[in-house]
Amino acid sequence: MSDWEPKIVAFLCNWCSYAGADLAGVSRIQYPPNVRVVRVPCSGRVNPLFVLKSLENGFDGVLVSGCHPGDCHYISGNYIARRKFATLKTALEFIGVEPGRVQFSWVSAGEGEKFAQVVARVTEDVRKLGPAKRLVKTIGGGQ
Amino acid sequence: MLLKDKKADLVIGYERGSSKRRARPVVIRADKDVDRLIFDDTCGPSLVPFARKALRATPLGTRVAVVAKGCDGRALVQQIAEGQFKRDQVVMIGVGCNGVTDHRRGASGEKREASCERCRYPNPPVYDVFVGEPVAAGTGDEFAGVAEFEKLASADRWAWFEHELGKCIRCYACRNACPMCYCEECVVDQTNPLWLGKSAERPDTTLFHLVRALHTAGRCVDCGACERACPLGVRLALLNKRLEREVRERFGYTAGLSMEATPALATYSEEDKQEFML
Amino acid sequence: MQGPSSSSRSTLVVGAGIAGIQAALDLAELGADVHLLEETPSIGGRMAQLDKTFPTNDCSICILSPKMSECARHPNITLHTHSSLVSVSGAAGNFQCTIREHARYVDAEKCVACGLCSDKCPVKVPDEFDVELRSRKAIYRHFAQSIPSNYLIDTAHCLYLTKGACRLCEKACAANAINFEDADRIVSLNCGAVVIASGIDPYNPIGYGQYGYREYPNVVSAMEFERMLSASGPQRGHVVRPSDGKEPKKIAFIQCVGSRDLEKNAYCSSVCCMYAVKEAVIAREHGKGIEPTIFYMDLRAFGKDFDRYCERAESHYGVKLARARIGRVEPVEGDSLKLHFMPEYGRRESEVFDLVVLSVGLEARRRLARLTDQVDIKLNEYGFCKVLPFEPLATSRAGVFVCGAAGGPRDIPESVMSASAAAAGCAPYLGLERRARASNKEFPKEKVVVGERPRIGAFVCHCGTNIAGVVDVNAVVEFAKTLPNVEHAQDVMYACSQDSLETIKEKVKELDLNRVLVAACTPRTHEPLFRETLREAGLNQYLFEMANIRDQCSWAHMNEPAAATEKVKDTVQMGIARARNLGPLEELLIDINPRALVIGGGLAGMTAALAIADAGYEVVLLERESELGGNLKDIRHTSSGADPQALLRSTAERVKGHKFITVHIGAEVKSIDGYVGKYTTSVEIPNPKPQTPNGASPIEVEHGVVIVATGAEEAVPAEYLYGKSQRVITQKELEKRIDTLPRMKTVVMIQCVGSREPDRDYCSRICCAKAVKNAALIKRKHPNTEVYVLYRDLRTYGLAEKYYTEARELGVIFERYELDSKPKVEPVKPGDVTSRVRVRLGDRLLGKEIVIDADLLVLASAITAPVGNQTLAKMLKVPLNRDGFFLEAHMKLRPVDFATDGVFMAGLAHAPKDIDESITQARAAAARALGVLCKKQVAVEGTVSWVDPDRCTGCGVCVATCAYAALELKELKRGSETVTVAQVNEALCKGCGVCAASCRCGAVNLKGFTDDQIYEAVSALRA
Repeated sequence: MSDWEPKIVAFLCNWCSYAGADLAGVSRIQYPPNVRVVRVPCSGRVNPLFVLKSLENGFDGVLVSGCHPGDCHYISGNYIARRKFATLKTALEFIGVEPGRVQFSWVSAGEGEKFAQVVARVTEDVRKLGPAKRLVKTIGGGQ
Repeated sequence: MLLKDKKADLVIGYERGSSKRRARPVVIRADKDVDRLIFDDTCGPSLVPFARKALRATPLGTRVAVVAKGCDGRALVQQIAEGQFKRDQVVMIGVGCNGVTDHRRGASGEKREASCERCRYPNPPVYDVFVGEPVAAGTGDEFAGVAEFEKLASADRWAWFEHELGKCIRCYACRNACPMCYCEECVVDQTNPLWLGKSAERPDTTLFHLVRALHTAGRCVDCGACERACPLGVRLALLNKRLEREVRERFGYTAGLSMEATPALATYSEEDKQEFML
Repeated sequence: MQGPSSSSRSTLVVGAGIAGIQAALDLAELGADVHLLEETPSIGGRMAQLDKTFPTNDCSICILSPKMSECARHPNITLHTHSSLVSVSGAAGNFQCTIREHARYVDAEKCVACGLCSDKCPVKVPDEFDVELRSRKAIYRHFAQSIPSNYLIDTAHCLYLTKGACRLCEKACAANAINFEDADRIVSLNCGAVVIASGIDPYNPIGYGQYGYREYPNVVSAMEFERMLSASGPQRGHVVRPSDGKEPKKIAFIQCVGSRDLEKNAYCSSVCCMYAVKEAVIAREHGKGIEPTIFYMDLRAFGKDFDRYCERAESHYGVKLARARIGRVEPVEGDSLKLHFMPEYGRRESEVFDLVVLSVGLEARRRLARLTDQVDIKLNEYGFCKVLPFEPLATSRAGVFVCGAAGGPRDIPESVMSASAAAAGCAPYLGLERRARASNKEFPKEKVVVGERPRIGAFVCHCGTNIAGVVDVNAVVEFAKTLPNVEHAQDVMYACSQDSLETIKEKVKELDLNRVLVAACTPRTHEPLFRETLREAGLNQYLFEMANIRDQCSWAHMNEPAAATEKVKDTVQMGIARARNLGPLEELLIDINPRALVIGGGLAGMTAALAIADAGYEVVLLERESELGGNLKDIRHTSSGADPQALLRSTAERVKGHKFITVHIGAEVKSIDGYVGKYTTSVEIPNPKPQTPNGASPIEVEHGVVIVATGAEEAVPAEYLYGKSQRVITQKELEKRIDTLPRMKTVVMIQCVGSREPDRDYCSRICCAKAVKNAALIKRKHPNTEVYVLYRDLRTYGLAEKYYTEARELGVIFERYELDSKPKVEPVKPGDVTSRVRVRLGDRLLGKEIVIDADLLVLASAITAPVGNQTLAKMLKVPLNRDGFFLEAHMKLRPVDFATDGVFMAGLAHAPKDIDESITQARAAAARALGVLCKKQVAVEGTVSWVDPDRCTGCGVCVATCAYAALELKELKRGSETVTVAQVNEALCKGCGVCAASCRCGAVNLKGFTDDQIYEAVSALRA
């Protein structure tokens, strides 16, 4: 247990947050190595099922990040996404999934530093929550 | 009368069922059978899934009359907003509803369904003819149950849902009864990808109900059909109700009131709140 | 091998640095046959030698490599490396060019670049590429990522070729590639135009005896330091001192070595301030204990985002910026160096440093002088190519153009812009025709993989030490081999290098692979390169997947090698899971409407319009105001004495009279719909009757590309009594009345008014040169008028430094001030708007206040982006930067493109710039636009949405969410039923996937990012 490290999946939009993550690297800004990135064209591509499935698969946390309002490469994908995220977050927290397991952010292509900060924050939040149990499906049904 | 005047080709309503405490849907095609129609507190099951099937199966130009209490009327409106049929295909026979009986909990007229207790739309928002008198809407907080539940700690809420959803046997009666669940192939039945395992294991079950709630968010009219259909009495509507409140508070949208408005999750406002975004 | 060509469609580009490469690529896209001549054995030029680039700290070779590969792969480009120009005769449209391809003694067809020959070669030669910091062999490659990648023999040092004995390489070569019989080849080319892109040499600081270069080992030139910083350089990126191999703590950068020095080079080299700050930042990243100090005269951070970069260098990296002139460098104990300097304020000081970097200036390539003889073009007083007034790319010989730093000191984006612009200049001489095919490159027929079991090849890149220095690449390779469907896994040194690309192709063929995963840098820059490699290997390009293990891993977790390796393994596993589910995709061909829309009728817009129209394509030019000209209307003089009003008249007349240009005055863009090749723009024009039969406004313009040239504005100053005193005006207002200015006793100019302030923290770039010009004009007319220029950093970059020197000689007084002690201005007679104004300035040198009563106070007010940019950006779906200027696709290498295809920018819409720079960027935008217009069709990405009609219920949620109206509901027969289902218009779909994520029924999917691909990725790590 002591050497447990949270594993977090991050859905990053190609044009802003993924580029911001690249910029963080290019600028050699260091951040916790706990995030596994799934590149999507737009935060609007993120079906809530992706998030739920990630939790069920045992990721300790999920981060979804897109372009700031107004910056969406696809005009309004992030606005549509924002409505999905709000309902998803409400639903998860209502049934008792810990707040902090699933988080959402806006990170632009120029915000390498913000990306690093967001990852650090989410990692820290998830670390405090401990390994995910709620919604996690383990093979054979046992915990 | 509608049939006689050729204003409708068929009427979908309720008739007396196998017992006095039950009503069942019926399709009336001839004027002479009209007397079979009833409407009272036993008329619980949503007629909307039947109506949708009938409307989509009949040739264009066929007019279907539907007996619509408040919630069913809203479901019809919502389906029209979602392009499932055209307004002029349907003749809405509005009825005021005093709530239907929870036949599991009491005799006729004694105990109303939970969803009826909190109902604020006893009359359909849209109708062509109205039978009887409109019913006055209830007052009080329709989201009181949600608010009460939210007082519980996160872990307790989780425990409650674990217990409640633990009863689920994945029979999908809730989905089949739901007026808004009309996908050709439900996400739980899809295999490529296999979003939801077929087992009755807890995470899969929980996910199923979560997804159903998300898919009906901003569309659910709180008709109570899901809970009424559930053979195990799982309290399914609580989460739906929470999301109904979310959509109303956050996006200013209530399902089933407008045939023109774009459903809440298919649109956006630049001013939507985003306090949860990092 | 090269026979003489008789087609005047050919162009000769001399020099294959970034400028030559860009010019070649743009010309090739226009359909020209390009001959790219390079003296060294590889293309790449100076940029290949750089470690990082400012202001984004992009890895230089990483962003250059794809362009180099593209050059090598382009069917219209022929490389002539290790070659020299012999002569150019004839005239524009029909030059006879003779070049000599020097013998390489290694058969390019046979050499596999394995390096065995080099291992065996006994001769060591100082390596030019590494500025002689290490040695190479007599049989060698120019550098690791060389293109072409094959080896060659250095005739001057080879034992066999000089002394007649050895031939060890011949024995070592298993491929029998060594050919000592090889001889130089003379190639004759018939070319329509010639581009000179011969670049620069770094100044040799040996001339500054007082700095002790080559005398003290720990005094190095900036180019040497650049190589020291480079991960693939002689020190593998470890910053250590040449004398003892120890890590230095204090590093001093001495600026203006060989620049702004009347005895050496009088001009400013433009790039040294920024590269010094960059080198200081990168050095700091290499060693946290390093304390860099930059000794400078003026910090010339005049480019887009440069000031912010410097600010960050100071605040985040502790880079010290010290304004002081270094007197001499003296060796002290422990190989360290004592710098004696005179700070701006105060007494002579000294400080000891462990390492001294001389920020050497840029000089025209030494061979340029010889080259200009051969081509018969003239040089300017500084040895760079002489260009014509307002023709910044035209040399003294028609049909011969110059680009890059051969025309004057320039940074990378300006070199790239000038290269594209030179390509536009060439176009009229080449007789190019519109071509039917998007690309005339032939690819092998694609193998059918549908129904086949996935057979994945995984290639894990070291990226030199960029990845392998942190991540255990071998462990990753071994891990990849254990994953299902992985038929082959291997490591590669540089996945993007030509030899690695060849390896990938060979493995695909040899092992019958049908999916490829490359774990390397980022798909954002390198996916196109690898996709094309798949096409060359006969696979559909969408069967490629990339795992980002550098930018998002090794670079971000440099101090956690074990965790970084774990993350890489997971990333590879997720990538393989996705790759397993990839399918081939088709690209849709879109017809290109060959008309351009140019928004903005200032100098940039008009210049771009003319360049496109001169190439034979129709242009619709929109100007919001009542006449053409924009800011140029208010400019009366230039520093060089050329007449801007004559330029305006001739340009506007040519625009109005051009048969291919339609001008709409007073035009307002209402909406822009469509996509590359097929745009429809609605324009409101005041009097539409002549243009449309029904007299309706707005009119609709159909076009294939858009150029945004909306200009910029002078801000209205909010300080220094502006608007409160009639004596206070802006530079722009001064400009209007400069010719009629009465004689005055005293004129004061204040610089940086509203620029480089906390709430507008960028430099407006041109105000310094403008103030210097206007100050000199006043002084020349009225020598007795006292003219003061109060400035923070005097930024007369490049060759404009001359005018700064001249102004001082004329007696213009330059006084510096700091942001925290700005001048104070008050009326001499309070309450009188006509009163002279009193300017007070704290003088730190004398410790007392300077008080000047001015007849006229001129404010260099900031250049700001028009508010209208916001609306236009939304309509075009393109981004603005935080200052409201349009944001280019890449700051270094795509300075006129947007990320959106078919949309380009020029002039002040991009950032503040002067007349010549606007002309250059306008021509560059035109060249890029012509690259689209000259094709009858272009292909759109295969990443588009798709609806399964059997699952669709026609609920319309996808239709409502689509921002591009790419989906609509249509009736369809399903069995006996007629149902309404959604359908996708692939030409309109941009592939965002919002529709797919919104569909409850799973009926809508996004090709390339399908539900099951993402499902597999997030499920890959399940235990």
